Parts: sequence; structure tokens; C-alpha cells
Amino acid sequence: MSHSRRDFLKSVVGTSTLVSLSPAMPTFMQQSALAAGASEPSSDTVLVVVQLSGGNDGLNTVVPYSNDIYARSRSTLRLTASDVHPIDSDLGFHPEMPLFSRLFKDGQMMVVQGVGYPNSNRGHDEALRDWHTARPGQAACQTGWLGRAIDHAERPDEPSVPATLVAPIPMPLALGTQRAVVPSVRSAEKWTLRTDESQRKGLLEAAKQSATDSDNPLAHYVQQSSLAAHATSHQVAEVLRTTDRQDEYPSFSLAKQFKTISELIRADLGVRIFFAELGGGGIGGFDNHANQRDNHAALLRELSISVAAFVDDLNRAKLLDRVLLMSFSEFGRTLSENGRRGTGHGAAAPVFLAGGRLKGGLFGEHPDLADLKEDAPRHHTDYRQVYATALERWLGFPSEPVLGASYKALDLFV
Amino acid sequence: MKRDIANDVDPDWAWSSYQPSESRPWTLAMAGHLYRRAAFGATYSELQQAVSGGPQKTVDRLLRGGEELDAFHHVMDQDELASAKSGNMGSLRAWWLRRMLKTPYPLLEKMTLFWHSHFGISGSRVGDSQLMLQHIRVLREHALGKYSSMLDAVSQDPAVYLGLGAQSSRKAQPNEEFARQLMHRLSLGPGNFGEEDVSEASRAFTGWVVLRGQLRFFDREHDTGVKKILGRSGNWKAEDVLRIVLEQPVAPRMLVRKLYRWFVSEVEDPSDRLLDPLAEMLAKDYDTGRVVETMLRSNHFFSAAAYRRRIKSPVEFALEIVRGMEGTLSTVILSEELAQLGQNLYNPPTVDGWYGGRHWINSATMTGRCNLAHSLFARNGRYGGKLDPTAIASRYGYDDPTASPGFLVALFLQDDLPKSVREELRRTIPSSIDTDGSALRQFASNAAALTEFQLS
Repeated sequence: MSHSRRDFLKSVVGTSTLVSLSPAMPTFMQQSALAAGASEPSSDTVLVVVQLSGGNDGLNTVVPYSNDIYARSRSTLRLTASDVHPIDSDLGFHPEMPLFSRLFKDGQMMVVQGVGYPNSNRGHDEALRDWHTARPGQAACQTGWLGRAIDHAERPDEPSVPATLVAPIPMPLALGTQRAVVPSVRSAEKWTLRTDESQRKGLLEAAKQSATDSDNPLAHYVQQSSLAAHATSHQVAEVLRTTDRQDEYPSFSLAKQFKTISELIRADLGVRIFFAELGGGGIGGFDNHANQRDNHAALLRELSISVAAFVDDLNRAKLLDRVLLMSFSEFGRTLSENGRRGTGHGAAAPVFLAGGRLKGGLFGEHPDLADLKEDAPRHHTDYRQVYATALERWLGFPSEPVLGASYKALDLFV
Repeated sequence: MKRDIANDVDPDWAWSSYQPSESRPWTLAMAGHLYRRAAFGATYSELQQAVSGGPQKTVDRLLRGGEELDAFHHVMDQDELASAKSGNMGSLRAWWLRRMLKTPYPLLEKMTLFWHSHFGISGSRVGDSQLMLQHIRVLREHALGKYSSMLDAVSQDPAVYLGLGAQSSRKAQPNEEFARQLMHRLSLGPGNFGEEDVSEASRAFTGWVVLRGQLRFFDREHDTGVKKILGRSGNWKAEDVLRIVLEQPVAPRMLVRKLYRWFVSEVEDPSDRLLDPLAEMLAKDYDTGRVVETMLRSNHFFSAAAYRRRIKSPVEFALEIVRGMEGTLSTVILSEELAQLGQNLYNPPTVDGWYGGRHWINSATMTGRCNLAHSLFARNGRYGGKLDPTAIASRYGYDDPTASPGFLVALFLQDDLPKSVREELRRTIPSSIDTDGSALRQFASNAAALTEFQLS
């Protein structure tokens, strides 16, 4: 099979020959799929980034339950050995996260502890901007770390979509590109065409017949995109028709986002990056300056249950090995309570990873509570190292042009 | 080797006025082409008028704008201002779309949109809808005027400083953003200046500070020393820097290149040789209106080198449908949908503006365009069925259900479709009588999904 034919198929229908052989596809596409022979299912890796908006209290998520300093500092929010799901004799997951505990024990989850950056900002907007751009302190930066990766990965002659926003929030700066258009897809149905499929098929075949005007590359490109849209629509519709997993996902917003992502991964559209969100966007739900306990517990419950549903779903579909989920929050919180049963804006916090090819366990030490900076844990792992790991070791994208410098990737994958 | 149809032409011939001839006739397709580039598409009567009036008369009309322009702008300005005062950036987008739809002078809005992308000032960074409205008004005021006056006005526009992150520049700490963007994107282009030119020019901008939405000059913060910019030394002020950069021969060429991509073609990169006559014209007094006029009247513009050699932006795609259908609908919903397709008015993605071209289209945005056309033409739904193909066909005398599909193909595609596609499109209309117009609605949305309709 010629290289160009393989590329054509890949750009139009991912790598799925099954779809190109469907009778809903134009005849010429079925023919080239036949000529191309059986192809492997896609092995492209996928990154799912989950933003926890507002500044998650890492100390009450991965809890140093046997630490005296912790116990003394958290008069009302303290969680004890009998509350947590222990990881070891020092640390345990929040009581509402038994499923994180299960994923962790099964090696499907890792915790990177103490992630942050030097002189980290404690304002929501500024810190979130720093996490999104991966250029701390550079207010003029208008592109995001994922956006730059997308611009880098986009092939000018392929209509594929490298990334999509799934969360019901405005396009985050993290996905800010210079040129590529990143779609916002709140449900997989949005990626299906509403026009009549057989009429579309007829028009695509007619257009192919007359495609003699080869000296207009734009016409050719749009034609390819129309084919891709047609094939994509069919793939998504097939996934929605054949998999009924209503009962596998709880009714949380985050779970709904994961369900959509799972459908889009199954449809094999070639999307490499998905962006999900928990906490409501903007200055989000994790920002608990008062009465933190119940708010935080509800969010962690949603996080834990939703992530587990997603991991279990992908695992059953044998897709988990292709997926890496990564959470982040703009900052952690202060160790001390503020007198209103809440906490202040902090610094370093844990990043949660889930997927099928993780080494498992804890990565890095829990920050030393005897050595704080302005009442918040210090970082030992720069967040751009985590990004470099996701880009380079997971997605196979070069990280240096995206991050503007070389960051040492972490050894997380088997 | 493929022939380079853009550059294998004699520049003198290319920029001379097009006069129809037997070998290069004035057609419906050419009229449609002109209205796509110089306006946001045409109504059927505009197309007819163009066909009978000929190219130069039609260009005259587009350059002049229609009647009662002042009254129209007056009404629109008031509505916009009220909207800006309420602090709602989203409704400003909708007002601008409405202006684009209803204006008697679409070329002015087309150029205002060009400059909006050129300067790349984003409302989300400026964070003040009144300042953004003021910014777009500055762009509109100079849209077809002199670029030198435009830069003078822009250098007095607080939104620009906020949008570039240059809101404060002190003697001890000159902010380099304004000077850098001026040289990099707005005049010279990369490779035509050095870092030292940026830092020296930045000193000329010291003392300018945006305070509570006002641009103010603080004498004591202005660096009065000698600055050496592009080889010239003097106690330069901001306005001197603008003059000096525009005096560089590379500056008019860069702007002409950008206008070429906007009006003529996104396919071939035009050679300097082709652009030189226009660059020389622009260098004289920076009259962009004259360059635009020359382009729109030219042989080159009405040739295969330009025809369907751009991809419509989402705004162009949608407005051509709505204008063609002579309908009115909610631009609030439409502006949100266009943002999802990649063109969020008042919020270009970066200071580089919308790069567009192929980047507008991928499998998701192609799906989005088809579904947008579908909902625009739908009998029910978010646009309320206000665009009615049967009614518009009937208004122009195409009452017969066998004739109305042909009318739509003439209106939207000027009959310029491959035979196989035209026949197949025709087959999407069921032979049974289309009593409620649904089949024609479906036909129209199929037509808007065609490759040819994505091209400008």
C-alpha cells in the first residue's frame, strides 16, 4: 500500500477500516479501504486533562493523617486514621475516595506529590494562567501549553482534530492556539451530522467524480474534510448506537464529560487531547475559604466516582492502555485553617494520574510540613516536568518547543 | 511542475482594470466572486444588478456604499453604545454581526474585520467592553483610509495598550510590547529589525500609561534621551517611531501582502514582483482604500488566480447564507455558534489575529458548518425558521417547485458546480410535491455543505 493512501485513510477515518468499509461510506472510500487491506486498530495515545477549579486542598485529599503538625493545624478539618483510606502508615485518601484507593491499589492510579513551581502565584487568575500557559509570570502569553502542542501537531493537509474541550466552560487558555481551531464538544452527538446520510454519500461520490480541478489545493482539502466529517459522523453514531452505558456513568457533570470522552475515543477520531473540568470554571468550587468540609467532600466524591467509572469503562473496552488522565489545580491550600473552617490559597499540591500503563504508587515525597513557605507546602517537582512527561513520554510530542525549555521528564510509565 | 497561476503573470496587466472580453466574459460567477470578497455575499437582486451593470460599476457601488449610511450608522452606534455600557461583550459581537448583515456599506465592515484581525486586540484581555467598542470604531473610521493615520489613532487607543499588555511604560522600565508588535506584525515583519531597535523604540513610548480606561502621558516618565532606531538617531517620540517604521520600504510590502491574502488568494504566496506596483502605490501616502480599489478592479482579481482561492471564514459562511436569504435572525445565538467554529468576534485568538485559510476547517468544524446551515434553514429550532427558501424564490418569481432549486444554486453558487454534483444535488429533492417547503429547506442546507460553498 502506498504511503499516501495510508495517510489519506488515516486522515479521513482514523485508522478504522471497518468504518471505511461500511456501506454508508462513498464507494471510492470502500475501495481504497479494501485496497489498503486490514489495518491495526489505532494505537495512538490519548491525554485527558482534568482541571480542578479553585485550588484543591491537597492536604485533605492525600491526607498525612499520622502527622502531628497536620493534626495540630487542622482543628475542624482534620481527618484521622479511622476516616481515611490508608495508602501507607502516613498517608491516606480522603474518606469520600474509596475508589481512588481501589484504583491506586490496582496500579491504575499514581499520585505525583508536591507539584508546583518557584515563587508560585497565589491569585486564582494568575496561578491558573501560569498552569495554562506553562510560562509563569508571563502575562503577555496568549497561547496555552496544550494549544502550542496542538499547533505543533496539526498537519496542514489533514483535517484531523488534535484536541477538544469537553467541559461546559469557555475555551480555557490551556487550549489556546495560534492557528488551529479547537472544537468544544459537550456531547458526542454534536459530532454527528444532521443532514441525511445517504444524500451526503451521493454528493460526496458525485464530487469525487468531477474532482479534476486538482490545481486548487483548497478545494481538495475541503473535500477531504467533508469526507472526514461524513466518516466521523458515522463512526460516532455507530458508537452511540451500539454502546449503551447509561447506567455505567453516574449523573455527575464530570462523569458525563468522561462518558463523552469515552465515546469519542471509541469512535477512533484521532483526537489526542481532551480537556475536562470539575468545580465550575472560573474561581471554582475547590476554593473553600469557609465551611470547607462538606463542599470539598462532595467534589472529591464526584471526582473519585467519575474517574473510577471512566477507568473501569475504558478497561472493559481494552482502551485503558491508550489513555492517561492527569488532574491539576491552580494551587493547593494553606496548612492552617483560617478560623472559618476553611483554608487559604497555598502552593504545591498532588497531581493525580490514571491509566493503564502507569508504574503505580506514589511519586516523590509528601511535602515536609515542618518546612513550609508562608504556611503552604513547598514543591519538589516542577509542574512543567509533569507536562514534559505527558507531552514527550505519553503523546510522543516534542516538549521543548512547547514548554520553551527542556524539563526533565518523570519516570512514570511501564 | 505545477503552474503558479498567481505569479506567472505580468504585474502591469495583473493590476490593470478588468474589462470584460469574449475570452474573459463578465458572468454571474464573477459577480458572486466580487460580492464574496468585497461584501458578505449578495442578494439575488444585487447579483442581477451586478451582472447587468458590469464589473467597474459594481465595484464603484461597493466602494461608495449605499444610501443613508449616516443614518444607519447613527442608529447602530446608539444601540452598540447602550450595549457596551451594560458591560456585555457578548452582545457587542451580536451587534457587529447585525451591522455586517444590514449595512449599506459592507466593504467598510469587511475592512474593519480585516483590521480587527490585523491588530489582534482581544476583549478578554482588555476586559472593558466600552474600550473595545471604541477600538472597533477607530478601526472602522480608518478602515479604507490612510494606514499612517490608522497607526496614529491606534497609538492613542487605550484598548490597544491593554490588549498588548503594554498598559504602563516608565522611564526606568520601558515596556517593549508596543514597539515589538509594531515592528513585528504591524509594519516591518520578522527579520527586518533587531532587538536593539525594539528596545530603543520602546524608550520613545515611555510615559504612556493607561489609567482607569484612559491613555495618559506622564512627562516625567518619558525618556527624552537620544534613541537610535533603524539607523536613525534623535530624541524620538512615539509619533516619530510610527513615521520611521512606515518609511521603511518593507512596511508597505508587508501590508500589501496581507491585503492580498485577504482579498485575492490564500493559495499561492505572491512574489515581490507581483506586489511591487501595489507596494509602491501604498508607499506614497499609505492610502489603503486606493490599494483595495485597485485590487478589486483588477484583471488579477477577476482571474482563476483569485477565484475560489480562499476559504470562507465562519462569519463569511453564515452571513452569505443570511444575506442571500434576505432574512433577519438572532445574531446573539449566531455569534456564539460562530465562536464555536473558531471566529469569536471581539476575541481574536492571539495578537496574530485569525490566520484562517485551511485552519478554519477540520472534521469538527466542517461538521459544525453543515449543522449550522441545517439549523439556519430549519423550519423550527433556534433560528425560528426565519430563512425561508421557498419564500425568497417566490419573491423573485421562481414559484414553480421545479425552478426554485435552480434559483438557489444560482443565488448561492452562481451555477458554478460540476455537472455530476449539480445533478446529484437535484436528486436530493424528492419528486413528490414539496407542499410545505421542507424539501427545499433540505436542498438549501445540502447546497451550503458543498465544498464549493466553503470557498470564497
